[in-house]
This record gives sequence, C-alpha cells and structure tokens, in this order.
Amino acid sequence: MESHAVEITELTKTFGGVHAVEKVSLQVPIGQRRVLIGPNGAGKTTLFNCVTGSLPPTSGRIFLFGKEVTHLAEHLRTAMGLGRTYQITNVFPDLTVLENIILSIQGTTRKKWVLHRPVKSFPEILDRAAAELERVGLKHRQADSVHLLSYGERRQLELALALASRPRALFLDEPCSGLSPSERQRIFNIITQLPRDITIVCIEHDMQVALGLADQVSVLHRGRLILEGTPDEVKLNPEVREVYLGKV
Amino acid sequence: MATRNLILLLAGVVFALFAPQLLGAFWASLIMQILIFGVLALSVDLLLGHTGMFSLCHAAFFAVAAYTTAILQVRYGQPTILAAPAGILVGCLLSLIYGLAVRTSGVYFILVTIAMGYILWGVAVRWGSFTGGDNGIGNVPFPAIGPLKVTSLTAYYYILWILVGLGVLGYRLLIQSPFGLTLRGIRDSESRMRALGYNVGRHKYAAFVLSGCIASFAGVLYIYFNRFISPATAAFPISVEAALMVIIGGVGTILGPFIGSAVFLIMRNYVSAYMDQWMTITGLVFIATVLWAPNGFLGLLKKYRTRPQDPKHRAEAGKTG
Amino acid sequence: MNWAIQTLNGISMGALLFLLSSGFTLTFGLARVVNMAHGALYLLGGYLGLSMVLATKNFWLALLAGGFGIVILYYFLDRFLIRRTGENHLSQVLLTVGIAFVIADIALLIWGGDARRLPAPAFTQGPIQLAAGLYYPRYRFLLILFGVIVGVFLWIIYKKTQIGALVRAGVDDREMVSAMGININRLFALVFALAAFLAGLSGVAGGAFLTLYPGAEWEILVLALVVVIVGGLGSLGGAMVGSLVVGLIDAYGRWLLPEFSYFVIFGPMAVLLLFRPTGLFGRKN
Repeated sequence: MESHAVEITELTKTFGGVHAVEKVSLQVPIGQRRVLIGPNGAGKTTLFNCVTGSLPPTSGRIFLFGKEVTHLAEHLRTAMGLGRTYQITNVFPDLTVLENIILSIQGTTRKKWVLHRPVKSFPEILDRAAAELERVGLKHRQADSVHLLSYGERRQLELALALASRPRALFLDEPCSGLSPSERQRIFNIITQLPRDITIVCIEHDMQVALGLADQVSVLHRGRLILEGTPDEVKLNPEVREVYLGKV
Repeated sequence: MATRNLILLLAGVVFALFAPQLLGAFWASLIMQILIFGVLALSVDLLLGHTGMFSLCHAAFFAVAAYTTAILQVRYGQPTILAAPAGILVGCLLSLIYGLAVRTSGVYFILVTIAMGYILWGVAVRWGSFTGGDNGIGNVPFPAIGPLKVTSLTAYYYILWILVGLGVLGYRLLIQSPFGLTLRGIRDSESRMRALGYNVGRHKYAAFVLSGCIASFAGVLYIYFNRFISPATAAFPISVEAALMVIIGGVGTILGPFIGSAVFLIMRNYVSAYMDQWMTITGLVFIATVLWAPNGFLGLLKKYRTRPQDPKHRAEAGKTG
Repeated sequence: MNWAIQTLNGISMGALLFLLSSGFTLTFGLARVVNMAHGALYLLGGYLGLSMVLATKNFWLALLAGGFGIVILYYFLDRFLIRRTGENHLSQVLLTVGIAFVIADIALLIWGGDARRLPAPAFTQGPIQLAAGLYYPRYRFLLILFGVIVGVFLWIIYKKTQIGALVRAGVDDREMVSAMGININRLFALVFALAAFLAGLSGVAGGAFLTLYPGAEWEILVLALVVVIVGGLGSLGGAMVGSLVVGLIDAYGRWLLPEFSYFVIFGPMAVLLLFRPTGLFGRKN
C-alpha cells in the first residue's frame, strides 16, 4: 500500500486557551489536489504551519511520504520535498528577483555552503533560475530589486520561490489573495499546469479557484475538520453553506 | 567598470604607493590605521550588512590575536612564521566559542556580544601575570619571515597594502558566493530561508566564526604596526567604533567599511590635535550619524536589518525591463 | 566567617544593582528602549550628588540631587534624541553609547579623573555587629535594607496597584493598552522618570562605597546588563533575582578567582542563554 503524500493524525494546536486546530486528521494521496476551505480563524494557516514545521503541534502526528516528521525541523522537511507559500508575501525584499530564485534553488543543494566561487560561476543554477522565472512570467524583472515589484508581481515571485526548489508536496496559502482577476487567472493556470506527480494542498478563499482546482475539498471550521468530499458534494452541503453564508 | 572609475583607481594606486614620500610618516601611519581598522570594520559588516546580526564584541577577536602574536614573539621568542598564524588561530578558536551567541537573537544578541567582549577585556586586565595587565605587552619586533625582514614602518606600509588587498579579494569572493547570498537571504527573511531548506542557525554560526577570523587577521596586522598591545584595544569602545565605521561608510559594501574607517580616524586625529575632548567628539559623531546620516556614504541603514546598495543593480533596475 | 562577609558583599552589591537595573529592564519591557547610557547616568548622578554634599554637607539632599538631576537630563535626552530612534535597537545602542561618551567626558572635565568617594552621613559609618564575631560595614548593611525597601515598594506598586497593572499590561501588549484609550505616553514618561531617578540615586548610593571614577559607568552597566539578560528584559522579578545572583557571583568571583572574575560572572550567563535564550523570566518577542 503506497503511503500518502501527507498524513495528519489527530493534530491539535493550542495557544494559551485558544484551540486553533482541534484533533484534525486527514490524508492526502500522492498527486492529489486538495483544497482547504473555511472561514477566517478556522485554523487553516495554523495547520499549514504545523505541517511545514514552523510551529510545533501541541499533540498529534504528522507524516510526509510515509515518514513521521512531527518533531522534525522545518528545513529538513523541505529537504524531503516540502514546499510552501505564505498568505502574507514572504520574499527577500532587498535582493533581486533572480537572487530570490537562486536562493530557492540552492536551498536544497550542498552548493549553499560554497564560499570560494561566485554564484555567477554556476551555469546550471543560472539556467534553472531562468526557467523558473519564465514559468511564472517574471523573467523580464530578474535584475530588479524586489521592492520595485508590484503586489501582483510579488505574489508571482512568492509562488516561484516555492516551485523553484522542485517540491514533491506543495502547500499554498491563499496564492491568489489580493490579486486582480487577470492576475488570479495567471496564478491559477500556473498551478493547474503543474505536473501530476506533485501533490498540492491549497488554502483558498476564492470558491471558484478552489472548486476549479480541487480533486477533494476539506472544510475546516473553528479548528475542526467538519467535512471532506468532492467539490460538488461540498458545494451542495447545507452545513458548509451555513458556515460560509454569503461567500459562495 | 567605467573608464572614469579606472582612472580614479589608478590615481588612488599611485597616491597610495607614494604616500609615505609625498605626505610623510604621520599620514602613512594614519593610512595604515585606516586599512587595519577597515578590515576590522569589514568583519563586523559581514555580520551586520550581510547577515543582519549586530555584534559588539569584535574587539575581542582583534585583541586576542594581537596578544597571542605579541606574547609568542616577545615572551617566547617565536618567529613570525609561527606567531602570526597562531594569532589568527587563537582568534578563530575564540570565535568558535563566542559563536554560540547566535542562539540568541535581536536585542539579546547585542547584549550578549557586549558581555562577551567584556569577558575578554576583563581577562586582559586582570590576568596580569600572563597579559601584562594594564601595562600591556610592548617591544614587539617587526615581522620577519625567512629572508624577508621588515625593518621600518615604511616597509610595513607596503606589506600592509598587499595583505589587506589580498584579504579584500578573498572577502569579495566570499560575499559573492552562494554562501554570501545565503547570508543576505537570512538577513531579509529567516523564516523563508528555513522554509527553503536552510539550517539558519548553522549558517549564522559559520558567518560569526568567519567574521571572527577576519577580525583576528586584522589583529595580527595591527600588532606588527603598533608593536604594542594593551587591554584598551579589547575594550568595548573599539567594538562600537568598528560598527560605527561600517555605518558611516555604508553597510553591505566592500568599500564602505574602509571609507567609514577613513572618515572616523581622520576626524579623530584632527580633533585630538586641537582638544582633549575627543571622546565627546566621538560621542557626538555617533549621535549625529544615527540621527542625520543613517544612510552612510555608500549605503542605507533603515531598519535593524539593513540592505546592500549594489550600484550595478541600481543601474540595471533603472533600465527598461 | 569570610563566607558570611562575602555573601553580605554580594547581597549589598545586588541591592545596588537592583536599583540600577530595575529601571533599565522596565524601560525596555514597556518602551522597547535599550539605553546604553544607563551607566553614565549612574555616574553623573553620583557626581551631582557629590557636588551637592560638598556644598551642603547633606547626604539626603545629595540623593535627591542625583535622582532628580538625572530625571531632568533624561527628559531632554529622550525628547530630543532617543525618541527619534523608534524601536531600531541598532540605532538606540549606537546613539546611547554616543550619549554615554559625551556624558562621561564632560564629567571627566568637571570632576576630574581621580576616584571620588561620596561622604556618607556619620551614622552610616563604622561597623555594625550582626552576630557573634560578625562585624560588617554599616553603610553596606543599610544599603541592603534600602534595596529591600525599594524592591518591596516597587513590587507592591507593580503587582497591587492599577498603575502597576497598566505597566504590566503594557509590557505584555503595548498596542492593546494603547487601544484601550490609556495614554501610553504618560505611562512611558512615568516609567522613564522612575528609571532615571533610580539610576541617579544609585550613583549617589554607589559612590559612597564603590567610589566614582572614569570607567565606572561601563563597569556597572555591564553588571546591570548581565542582570537583565539573566533575569529577562522587562521582568521586575527577574531583575530582583538577577541582581542577587550577579551580586553574589561578583563578590565570590573577586574573592576566589580575582583574575577571572568577569569570566565567572559571564560564564553562567552564557550557559543559561544556551538553554533559555531570553533569560530566566524573559519573554520571546
């Protein structure tokens, strides 16, 4: 029996008295597109943070590709093939776009410890960076410092950073947040065109994006997983409509 | 590089070559100090401008290296070929230990480095039997390796330019390397670096140790220039002045620390010639720089984490994309 | 017998350190200000008190002169200089170090470079018998009492009064307190004034047994730094525990390992930070 890409067992995260995530269990098969929906404060980002390793869970277990990673350091999970984006753009503001991508590429290689040769002298890194920038449509901005980029361009870079490390499991936290319809479409296309061997778990508020992308939808509310199903099943479910009143 | 820059560089080289003859011993000595403390400031900038860590203990590495070389040459009669590398080595060992401070961050890191700097200063002052206490250690001979013997400060002037030049070239390779880029990534967003697979703690430690080694290198350069070392060289004001030089000149650049060193030392030399209150002037320079010139001459200081100002990128960004 | 004396030395040093570092830690906890000139304020306060006592022969006036003199100075320093650095700790450190250099150099000009001892009132002179065969300088013993009284006083205000509750809340979450409509600036001003007063006061108190001399400002600041590092920035209780610990280690260190006394103080601090990077009672922010 092939292991899942991501498996979470009874995951709980509390902050003081607040139960941000409450006994959530889910399994994401390899290659699936899973979308997490739920109103603000439902615990989606907290769940992400526990799975990617930036927050330690209060209890429960997390598995990536069959290996337990519950207490594994964040950077080691990335080395296993995890990639993520942030809801609030988290790029490198005082570096150029090209340098941002290079950081992502070298992050999972031994090259990050080379200190006697310039970065420019690694053509394989530069070529790969060019390809990644091409994919998200930022090649023309490669020499620009990030703080010159528009918000939309930064969201593109945000996604590019996660993709450039060639993850096997991609965690996207509201990749389209704050974008105009055309920008939203572009991000959507990039995501849907990703190869099927990449597992994608996506938090999304935009119902159209969510339902267009998803194989399966998981619904969170107040830290608990209240429903899982296909997009159609979820769309028609009365409890979900209630939780999401006015959003669909 | 534009032709204009090349001409300026050439002029600078000619000027530097003949400074002892053209300007005299005072200026030659001042230029040597600028170079030596410029390297010290460079070591601080590796952490400040490139990694986002504000260390105030680098005088400790500087002094420990100088003391080691001095003690080996003066008290144990060891030759330069042994004493100089030993000085750098001991400084590096100290930075391996002090590097554990990177486990703290933010203002705690600053405070811890201050405290660590004081430990070393305290040892230099109180362990009189070994360090000579407040009297320090003097009569350090000029360096001599085999047939190459430095016999005057003027000769050392030229050696210093060569050594500092080599050091700067090495530093340039370092900051342009993948490791250098990693440090700047850490400066900009530690969280994203972790998410991209970097062991941030390990990189910070490595940066700290490297920076300590560079400061130790400066310390060995220093002892052969000054030929006397005392606890004052390990004291807190020296570490702070090194940081100030970086900021005056511009963080995250190679030239900035040297420019800052030049501005600061020239100003101090002028001032102490006219008045005793150079400590006051130093303090006022600190205050003025922080309040009115946080940009420095070459770079920008906006937040705790500062950014490099690479003229090449600015020019390219100005072009149509 | 020596152990008892050294322990008392440590406790009296701790009392002095508490007077100095309590203000430093609360200033940071509430306003996120790192004031590296705190030691210089101590020294200047002591010198002001010295001049006062030489002029009026009154130690109590000296204490007030030291305390209030520094309050006034700090008001101007904060308003025109320190406030402009916002929460940029790098700038704060550099700026306040610059201020410290200026203060110390001017003090050198006015009061000279020799070590000056503040003359304390007659009733504090001489030994006091604490137990059979145990005699201790009366001044230092009274300093311990004074430190304890101030400590208790501050603790009661901090824990039992509304002002104290506001300060505690402000240390915890400044934006929240602001949002509640409390004038956070007035709270800052109060804490700053208290910190400045205690700094100047401790200069007078310290000047009577440690003497005042150029360099003293950094020596005492470093000890205060260890206190707040160990105790945790922003924690009054931490400052109490830290002061006692550092005072005792300083006393024992000087006595048993005089050549490595700084190492003795900072060693445990370093080890502590390896395990608790924000000190004993500090909070990660």
